[in-house]
Amino acid sequence: MDTGTVLRNLLTLAWLLPLAGFVAEIYALQLRWSHRLSKAPAQLAVACIGAGFLCSLSALLYWGNATEWAALKPAEHGHHAEEHAGAEHAEAEMSPVDALHPAEPEAAADAEHTAVAHAAPVPKFYAGTFYKLAQFGPLEITLDWYIDSLTLVMFTMVTFIATCIHLFAMGYMKDELTEEYEDHQVHLPGGHHFTRPGRFHRFFAFLSLFCFSMLGLVLAGNIFQVFIFWELVGICSYLLIGFYVERHSASTAANKAFIMNRVGDFGFLIGLMILITSLGTFRFFDVENDGVEQTGLFSLIRGDDGKLDVSDDPSVTKSVVYLRDSHGHRLADGTTPRTISYLLLIAAGLGVFAGSIGKSAQFPLQTWLPDAMEGPTPVSALVHSATMVAAGVYLAGRFYPMFPPEVLLGIAYIGCITLFIAATIAVVATDIKKVLAYSTISQLGYMMLAIGVGGWAAGLFHLVTHAFFKSLMFLCSGSVIAGCHHEQDMRKMGGLRHKMPLTAYTMLVGVIAIAGLAIPGVGNALFGQALAFSGYHSKDAIVASALAFSELNPNPLHNILFITPLVTAGITAFYMFRLWFMTFAGQPQDEHVYEHAHENPAIMTVPLLVLSLLAAGCAIGGEDGWLYRLLAFSETVPAVERATSARVATIVLPSHHDVHDVHGTAGGMALLAAFAGTAVAYLLYCRKVVNPDDIRRQAGGVYDFLVDKWRFDTLYDVAFVRPCHIVASWCQGFDQKVLDVVLHTSAAITVVVSKWERTFDEGMVDGLVNLVGTSTTNFGRSLRVIQTGRLRQYVMWIAVGVVVLFVALFTALPK
Amino acid sequence: MSSENLLSLIVFLPAAWSLLLLAFDGKNADAIRYFGLIGTALTFGLTLQLLSQYDLTPAPEQLHDGMQFYFSWDWIPNWNVHYSLGVDGISLPLVLLTGLVSLLAMIASWSIEKHLKGYVMLFLILETGMMGVFLSLDFLLFYVFWEVMLLPMYFLIGVWGGPRREYAAIKFFLYTLAGGVLMLIAMLMLYFASGNSFDLLHLAQVGQGQVKGFAFTKEFQITAFLLLFIGFAIKLPSFPFHTWLPDAHVEAPTPISMILAGVLLKMGGYGLIRLAFPICPLGAQYCAYGMVALGVFSIIYGAFAALAQTDFKRLVAYSSVSHMGYVLLGLAVWKVGEKAGDPNLHYWRMGVNAAMFQMIAHGISSTGMFFMVGILYDRVHHRDLNQFGGIAGLMPHYTGLAAGIFFAGLGLPGLCGFIGEIFSVLSCWSFDKTLAIIAASGVILTAGYILWTMQRVYFGPAYKGPHGEALVPLLGREKFVAYVLLAFAIALGVFPNALFQYMDPSVKTLVENLDASVHPQVIETAATLVQ
Amino acid sequence: MESVGLNAYLFVGAVLFVCGIVCMAIKRNGIGVLMGVELVLNGANLNFVAFAHYTPLGLDGQVIALFVIVLAAAEAAVALAIALNFYNNHLTIDVDRGNELQG
Repeated sequence: MDTGTVLRNLLTLAWLLPLAGFVAEIYALQLRWSHRLSKAPAQLAVACIGAGFLCSLSALLYWGNATEWAALKPAEHGHHAEEHAGAEHAEAEMSPVDALHPAEPEAAADAEHTAVAHAAPVPKFYAGTFYKLAQFGPLEITLDWYIDSLTLVMFTMVTFIATCIHLFAMGYMKDELTEEYEDHQVHLPGGHHFTRPGRFHRFFAFLSLFCFSMLGLVLAGNIFQVFIFWELVGICSYLLIGFYVERHSASTAANKAFIMNRVGDFGFLIGLMILITSLGTFRFFDVENDGVEQTGLFSLIRGDDGKLDVSDDPSVTKSVVYLRDSHGHRLADGTTPRTISYLLLIAAGLGVFAGSIGKSAQFPLQTWLPDAMEGPTPVSALVHSATMVAAGVYLAGRFYPMFPPEVLLGIAYIGCITLFIAATIAVVATDIKKVLAYSTISQLGYMMLAIGVGGWAAGLFHLVTHAFFKSLMFLCSGSVIAGCHHEQDMRKMGGLRHKMPLTAYTMLVGVIAIAGLAIPGVGNALFGQALAFSGYHSKDAIVASALAFSELNPNPLHNILFITPLVTAGITAFYMFRLWFMTFAGQPQDEHVYEHAHENPAIMTVPLLVLSLLAAGCAIGGEDGWLYRLLAFSETVPAVERATSARVATIVLPSHHDVHDVHGTAGGMALLAAFAGTAVAYLLYCRKVVNPDDIRRQAGGVYDFLVDKWRFDTLYDVAFVRPCHIVASWCQGFDQKVLDVVLHTSAAITVVVSKWERTFDEGMVDGLVNLVGTSTTNFGRSLRVIQTGRLRQYVMWIAVGVVVLFVALFTALPK
Repeated sequence: MSSENLLSLIVFLPAAWSLLLLAFDGKNADAIRYFGLIGTALTFGLTLQLLSQYDLTPAPEQLHDGMQFYFSWDWIPNWNVHYSLGVDGISLPLVLLTGLVSLLAMIASWSIEKHLKGYVMLFLILETGMMGVFLSLDFLLFYVFWEVMLLPMYFLIGVWGGPRREYAAIKFFLYTLAGGVLMLIAMLMLYFASGNSFDLLHLAQVGQGQVKGFAFTKEFQITAFLLLFIGFAIKLPSFPFHTWLPDAHVEAPTPISMILAGVLLKMGGYGLIRLAFPICPLGAQYCAYGMVALGVFSIIYGAFAALAQTDFKRLVAYSSVSHMGYVLLGLAVWKVGEKAGDPNLHYWRMGVNAAMFQMIAHGISSTGMFFMVGILYDRVHHRDLNQFGGIAGLMPHYTGLAAGIFFAGLGLPGLCGFIGEIFSVLSCWSFDKTLAIIAASGVILTAGYILWTMQRVYFGPAYKGPHGEALVPLLGREKFVAYVLLAFAIALGVFPNALFQYMDPSVKTLVENLDASVHPQVIETAATLVQ
Repeated sequence: MESVGLNAYLFVGAVLFVCGIVCMAIKRNGIGVLMGVELVLNGANLNFVAFAHYTPLGLDGQVIALFVIVLAAAEAAVALAIALNFYNNHLTIDVDRGNELQG
């Protein structure tokens, strides 16, 4: 078996195991292999995802060995261009029968596609097809797999974090291991709480299903498949947010999450339409089908050199991008070259990115994520911070080659707005999970910003490091919530580090990581970088990319793209330390809570420790570390040199070199901001130099505005939700008041006409007939009087008649 | 079993079965139910037999104009009427769907108590009518079956229905009859213009300008197409001919709702693709934009109207209007290129395939949705959405299955509804961008009304309506029906090609022939042939 | 011998006829009515025979007269039977009582 097959098999196993787990777990009670008080379903779920992690890890190691860890060698910037697009297919079996009919693609219905293989020393990716969903002539829609170092890292990261969270959840959800779970947040009319059987097994079933969907999304080899799993993670998220189906707030939040995501998917769908119509394929990679290369999306747009082949036409509306094959030759239909309009490409990019906006809770669709905290905390940790919401960033990263610079600029601005808005709201939030939720949105904004300013690897780097420290922090918050008997309000906490030290200090690791604190200079000798936790390195990389971008671009407006993340780095440090100080430091604010707080059992704290190790150390070495290099190895559009585009606006994307040059400056400034934020938090919330309540009173308007989450929910309610219901009632009214009334009116007219006809029938037609009958009867009746039955009278009549006849004859007749 | 008579057997077995029922004692309810069940099961078995004998790669000599199992017999020679049946990739899935839905609806009929014998007999006659519509290849025969199906349906709604059953039954009957009359006019127009032929295949050839001596002019085709279109759009149903549907569904008993949504609506789409398009390609081409616009409008309108409903069944009925809009959309995205073989044709081919798939998918999902509503209605005897809640806690197994089926309706990937919807929307971009964007926005509304419904019915702490004590867990037969439907929903969603491989060859031929027939040079040639 | 002439016969015939008619009209006894009928018939017979004798009609008149006699006999038989039955039903033969056929 070649490398591709091995990797495919390993990852497919890791992907499908949770699905099998889901089926077994959801039927745990029906199939009677478990019971309501048993932890067996959770153990099965852990086994599935744990095995998935082992598979992913071995795949990563196998891939490393097979490529002789080429990715980890110090990268000479510029290497990658020549190595692009090497792929080989796993099952390169082309039966001779298929080869005989090259003109009939349908005949080769089941033929495996063969990826175009290039003689490259180290293939950048492996890809192939699972099976075909549909084929309409040349339009083929399949389920594919696409494995590069990004896929492998994501697989390992997702399965690892999921395993930790599954373990944690076994402890966190143990309240559900009962026949009578009392839900304290649901009040029945009688005044008592709602009681129901525990749903432990179902929780783990949904988690498993989620893992399946998420891994499918990462493994996907075409954008359509991404969309499929995109929706599936959406529905899993829906199920998990709404896990407490009895709580109205939970089911509403679940609906909101799914519908907001669908708004993004609406854009995604438009992107898909453009792609299939203009480019005729959804596949990322090239395949060879019956000897004919079917060029994938990346090669069509980026050719073999990673550049857009745009026509020279200065007008943006007339500009076209020439489609190229994997060798960089322009494709043609007969003599006319195949092209896609530049504007259409922008539209497609924005469309697909709209999907990312929805999934990653970016501005303006960010409002669903804080509400999604209605789900159990492990769900927030796994789904709404570490993996699913990161899928939007993953997609933006995966689809990066398809984005022209204008789209990237849009991404950067969206990310920039998001990271600022979310950070400001986090400053005033008091629910421990909501703070983390807003910080997630903000950090996702950082990632988007990085991708938008050309820092592809930096964005994905932050994605991975963020996944570790954010899942850690969510689990810590879960630990706090579980320890304080489901109290989530930070104002009632304080001093908890005495009661739950392990949670407190692992949390501190996460806080330092996200704040981006570092001790400059200390680690230099060892790693060539500052000694710091993971978040410092990745955020540093992002800020450096942003600085390089804003320096290179002449438009002064773009300085915002650097200043905002810099300021926000300070805000981030502030609100994260505020969280930590309010929760763990200082004096207990609520004796009741404090009295009952306790540290959690090992099944919950061990995952915290493991994750804190990774949160601290996964990015070790920064941009020279293994993680960054692994990710950067997959960079599909290598930023070897500056890329300039001047169609809609002049945009210059920095090269690696540019970023490298400003790295020190940016890192220093970010660090300064982080320290400033930390210091303010320390002064306000630990030393209480100024009472935060005073500030709140001083800036009441701003405070209310922030507490109301910039009033987005109100805006959407007024602008979309209510109009929707109004239009709906119009439609309903139209049916009843117009269509049915037309129908009923015509029916009524028919009835009136038929009544009139009845009158006519009865009066005229029947009247004539009856007249004949009645007159005959009347005549007969009038004759009746002479029929006396008296014989002698008859004789009289005869005699008289004869006489009369005679008289008549003799008088009337001529002689 | 000889393959020649297989189709006739499929069509007439249910009717024969209903005659045999005459011999039964009306009081022996279980015997009648089981007998009816055996009848529908046998019919479904025969359709499976048809599937297994259907040749995916037939030799040309086995085909009669693209049809397999072709059978023809002079029925009324004086008027040139034939009893001719045949099956191709377009009708085969619908025949299977009819067999399946009838079987499941018969199982769902177990709770019917009133005049059971009459019910089962009418049910079986209805099945004969439906099978006949999908299999006949003669216009008069098609028309006869069309009307045959109508009467049992009228009685099934009008006798076994809810409180307003007479109103609903009459509305249904009159609407369909009006459509039937328009179809009759078109049929006679075509009959006399084609040299007295009712043969659908022959008419199609004439319409496509392949027959020497006959041709339909463009104006003639447009008129005939519009007549046929209105007839079929009523059945589909498309805005503005849809108002019979909510009433019929609300009043019809659950199994009849299942048949109505699962099979009867498909006759509209089937009629368009089997009759209207092939016989009047110029008319279809002329009306394409209007049809797509109507389809898109139906999608959005149905979704909005569904959002406003408070009756569970009415909501599902409006969701049918919305979903069938995708069928109309997919069928009509026909943009004629400058030359034959234009790449746009692939998108139309995709659209027609998607529309066909959507019909099957909707047959599965909406049948399931009506069944799920029926389960609740059987228990608590009301359908007011605002008086449910908490079902998830009371009937968890049912809620799980219902969620699966409603998600299929929502168009969730991995379930059947997704494939049909997304491909028909994708095919629309090359036809018209604005309409495509509007159609795509349907995904938001669909999610809105389905999730909101689920929240109101299944979630929440407590059941708010009457008869809460009757909410008992699913019975065995209910589980069976739900699982079969869910299994089909998943299977079709995960392996759509299992269905496309049957449809696509026929669709491809159809699409290519139609496209070739509307190019000017072909029309001119046809005109010279007439002279 | 000097014949009395046709007119005399006709006169007698007419007297007989009128007597018959009057008899039919005034008699309430069914038998009486029957006798009136016989008078009428015989009045007519007398005319036939007289015309047969005095005009070129010849034997035809006499043949008709014979027919009428036979007819009268048959009629009398039938009428007497009717009268008998009438009597059985009404215990009288008063024809005025037989008005059941009144319309």
